[in-house]
Amino acid sequence: MRFYSGGELLERELADIMSQEERRLGLVSLDAPLISNLSVLSNVALIKQYHGHLSVREAEDIVKMGLKKLQLEDIAEKRNPVLLEEQRFCAMVLRAVMVEDAVVVIDRPFKIMPDLDDTSFIRDVLTSVDDLFQECHIFDYLWNEERYTGGMIHGA
Amino acid sequence: MQTWYKERKRQYDLPFVILLKLETAMTTAIEQIGRSGLHAFSSFLDTLAFAIKILARMFDVRAYNSAVRMVLINQIYFTSVQILPLFLTVAAGFGAIVIGIIGQYLIHLGLFDYFGQLLMGFVVTEFAPFITVLLIALRSSSAVNAEIAVMKVNKELNTLHVFRIDVINYLFLPRILCGILSIVLLSWLFSIVVLTSGLIFSALLFDMSMNDYVTVLLVSANFSDLIVMSIKCATMGFFIVMIPIRYGMRATDELTSIPVSVLHGMVNVFIAIMIIEVVSLIVMSLIEKFI
Repeated sequence: MRFYSGGELLERELADIMSQEERRLGLVSLDAPLISNLSVLSNVALIKQYHGHLSVREAEDIVKMGLKKLQLEDIAEKRNPVLLEEQRFCAMVLRAVMVEDAVVVIDRPFKIMPDLDDTSFIRDVLTSVDDLFQECHIFDYLWNEERYTGGMIHGA
Repeated sequence: MQTWYKERKRQYDLPFVILLKLETAMTTAIEQIGRSGLHAFSSFLDTLAFAIKILARMFDVRAYNSAVRMVLINQIYFTSVQILPLFLTVAAGFGAIVIGIIGQYLIHLGLFDYFGQLLMGFVVTEFAPFITVLLIALRSSSAVNAEIAVMKVNKELNTLHVFRIDVINYLFLPRILCGILSIVLLSWLFSIVVLTSGLIFSALLFDMSMNDYVTVLLVSANFSDLIVMSIKCATMGFFIVMIPIRYGMRATDELTSIPVSVLHGMVNVFIAIMIIEVVSLIVMSLIEKFI
């Protein structure tokens, strides 16, 4: 976890890690939203189809397994605008871990889920898919630090 | 002395000031024309460069994976299959009207021998591609323009960039390929429907047997015209999707830029259709002249 006192500094550091880990980057951020005319299933499967050269069915099977781990099979056919904030976050995390040897970078999770009190939900989500990524970095503001108390997250 | 000077100044400076203002206005106008010309020329060159880039990707086998194929299939469904009921109705309706009017006029003028040539030369090679391209441009080009602009505003293009998904391969290529295939195939379908309705109407209105009708068409059919028509359709299909994509990409981060980009995109699509029509007519006349 990395905390920053201002948005400019945070975004500079974020840009640095994004350029360093370009090939393994799995970004979870409001600046990289789900594609609104695709279902969650297609959004996540796209990564495997495009980079893994898998067929639609093979890629969707992997995504369905991921959704099952997160107990979110029912959102597979839903599109971004109708998702709840937590569901959207899960879909974005699942998409991020679809990158080969993913370095998951979560950019200000409380901006994605403003109603969240602490990081227990984020920890649970990451634990459910911890076999699918190598590292995880969370970027947030310094004033959100106390919301992370007891929620230390380590990469798999 | 001073009175004399003031008088001369009043006499000579007033026209001089007017002339100076006129000169400034003319310079500004000429500069404006030049600026607009340069802008239009550079925009034309940009469009051409983008078209060449897309064409190069079109022949790159590595550009096609299951994701791209899926987008292509979806696009063909949205562009060519969903429009079929409306398209067939328009084709049958227009076909009946046009063939009825053409036939009646030819009989009045005593030129019914040219019926087949008019059907093949006007309806198949000119009318069918034009109506098809208009229908697809009104329905799909505007949709593609708005879709790309919305994706830009919503930062969805940034998503593709972050996940190293090539925007040209994933978004543009399938849409442009779909445009080409749709216009070519739907133009042929339009022609077939029009000629079929022509068969019925020529039997009803002009007492023409099926054998006579088919013979007239076959005699009038010119293979090179059909090739030029297909190339024209493919070119139109390419540009009526590529131009909206380019204008969609010009949208800014603001929602209000979406209608502006669609407006500019559609105006340029119609200009492109006119240019291609004129160029194809010139090419056809050159072919007739030299072959």
